[in-house]
Amino acid sequence: MRSRSAGYFLPRDLHPGAWWVWTLGLAVAASRTTNPWLLLTIIAVVCHVVIARRTEAPWAMAFRVYLVLGAVIITFRVFFRFVFGGAEGSTIILDLPEIPLPAWAAGIRLFGAVSAESLLGGLYDGLRLAAMVICLGAGNALANPKRLLKAMPPALYEVGTAVIVALSVFPQLAESVLRVRQARRLRGGTRGKRMHGLRTIVIPVLEDALDRSLALAASMDSRGYGRAGTAAPRARFVTGTLMIVGLGGVCVGVYATLDGSTPRFLALPVLLAGLATALAGFRLAGRRVHRTRYRPDRWRLAEAVTAGSGIAVALALFATSSVDPTNLNPSLIELSWPLLSWEPLLGVLAGTLPAFLTPQPEHLPGRVPS
Amino acid sequence: MRRPATVLGAVLGTALTAAPGAAAIDPTKGTPGFCQDGTGVTVVVDFQELGGTTIVRCNPQAQRGTGLDALKGAGFQIAGVQRWGEAFICRIENRPSAVEQLPVKGKEGYREACIDTPPAGGYWSYWHAGNNCAWKYSQWGVKNRDFVAGGFEGWSFSLNATADTNPKPRIAAVRPGTEGGSCDAAEEPPPTSDDPNAVQPGSGDEETRREPPQPTQDAPAAQDPPPPSPRSDPDPPATQAPPRADPTPRAEPERPAVQEPTRRPKPESPAVRDAPSTEPEPPRAAPSGRPPPEKGDTLPRPLPRAARTSVPDDPARNVAFVGGEDSPDVSALVKEQSGASDHAPWVAAGAAVVLGAATWLTALRRRRARDG
Repeated sequence: MRSRSAGYFLPRDLHPGAWWVWTLGLAVAASRTTNPWLLLTIIAVVCHVVIARRTEAPWAMAFRVYLVLGAVIITFRVFFRFVFGGAEGSTIILDLPEIPLPAWAAGIRLFGAVSAESLLGGLYDGLRLAAMVICLGAGNALANPKRLLKAMPPALYEVGTAVIVALSVFPQLAESVLRVRQARRLRGGTRGKRMHGLRTIVIPVLEDALDRSLALAASMDSRGYGRAGTAAPRARFVTGTLMIVGLGGVCVGVYATLDGSTPRFLALPVLLAGLATALAGFRLAGRRVHRTRYRPDRWRLAEAVTAGSGIAVALALFATSSVDPTNLNPSLIELSWPLLSWEPLLGVLAGTLPAFLTPQPEHLPGRVPS
Repeated sequence: MRRPATVLGAVLGTALTAAPGAAAIDPTKGTPGFCQDGTGVTVVVDFQELGGTTIVRCNPQAQRGTGLDALKGAGFQIAGVQRWGEAFICRIENRPSAVEQLPVKGKEGYREACIDTPPAGGYWSYWHAGNNCAWKYSQWGVKNRDFVAGGFEGWSFSLNATADTNPKPRIAAVRPGTEGGSCDAAEEPPPTSDDPNAVQPGSGDEETRREPPQPTQDAPAAQDPPPPSPRSDPDPPATQAPPRADPTPRAEPERPAVQEPTRRPKPESPAVRDAPSTEPEPPRAAPSGRPPPEKGDTLPRPLPRAARTSVPDDPARNVAFVGGEDSPDVSALVKEQSGASDHAPWVAAGAAVVLGAATWLTALRRRRARDG
């Protein structure tokens, strides 16, 4: 017993699925609220856990790109309130001259009075989207995409391969940018020429991305990924169609379920039909994929803690939103500090648990590999 | 992480220094009870099945103004849905509150979250009347028509009502002392186009003011295709123009204090504004002369009214009413109902700062270890 509890904190990489469950839980929580207190706390929690538990892998070091992206989103959201009218509300803080538009553009206005309420509305909204993007960035930073591919069940083999290749594109690009910039800095003598700088970054990055894609494709091919095996073309076509139609149905169904204003017949029926179709497809696909895994990642207590904390955050926000929607979506009619109650806040703070209750990764930035 | 925090801080800072304090019925605006004379407009808020005593207040504003101005100027505390803003009023004096369960048919246990358009089975219906006239269900949005000077604006909660049974405010539109007078308010022309910026013909700034559509407190979705993420998206869709030239609801631009604006009813057929319904709703088009209580995603054709009656209700049958002086403070009430704590925001901010500092320290340590 003692050895097990001592072994709990031995450095190791967590199952990538656990990180994705955690990160998606936080993203779902962020999507439920526009309360800036909660969103700021979510972003802080995510940043802390990422910095504390990321490895030095290229995808992990690209996290800051997501932070920049989040800041850009917020800036744009607020900026658009200036441009396309922000007079909803009574506290006018800026009275820009309005640009008259022709009659066919009725309904759109350019500039004009800007109220504090509409700016705050844009800010809250932008903050929510930024928090969700940062959460996804955290997933990319913490989970090792290659091991995630390994952990895919056979039924998800075909879809999983595509999804993981797609997921790893952005981190790879971000990492390329960082690497090329570092190389440029080391070479020196490139100060001041902006266009030149652009060329010396963009072209190597694109070339690098292409090279890597080819390398990845070749290595996956040599390991048997994407091989059709013994399946007949007809069977492959049926499987593919079932899966794509099914997953499309699941997407529509999930959207309609979450969005209250979509017609109800698009919600549960489409979701169930999509699930059934996709499951049939998975079954067909899984039947002809025979793979074994070399040293599979195991799901242990630390993984359960991580995934559980993410799920807890999402559940906390779902539970409280049915109790006090006022707090989760602060009113902007009367300008006031957004209210906040304890339950959602404590729920969100539960998301920091992985920073303390999980083992450190094997290859921490700075640690000398032994 | 630090950047968004800075942005938030900056905007919050600018915004909140100018923030007015929230209050319940604002005693600085309006007076309790009916208006004494032909200046201003009397606003009646009838809670109907929600329970609670009907409130009657006067907005003594002499300039012209919209229905929204009348409501706010009388001191009522309102909330608009997030999707449409104040163009669709979902709460008056915190009723129905976010914790109140409404027995809406087909949506048992419905609670008004003020995010999207309220259901047809439970919403604030908007009425108006001239002095000594019958109540009329408004064909126009609250921001798209002007109140009748010396007249009445009515808000009556409509619960599970159909087009015919929509309850009018149970206070007769008769100012005390003017009983037996004749109704002299002109008929308001129904909306004639689906121009989202249409304001009532003859209303004060028909030419200059361009308001979001909201024809009638009930069909916000009619004019526009649904925005991409309607649920809780405070971004108005591009076609739903935010109100323009509305610096503050109370401080009206100088308009002549015309008592009776010239009405210019347009000759064309009034049947332009209908949009495909996406939600099964009770039939709206009333066969009777009562204006159809359009609601939700459809705005049916305004039917020509047969036999317009301008006979006012009998003031003797008025329900009991108050001036709203004793209404509880709405922001305090909301805070209590939502279980919000004064300390929670501080803890949230503190947690964000502590986590930020911890993040920074960890990053610094890692960088030192890597470089050194």
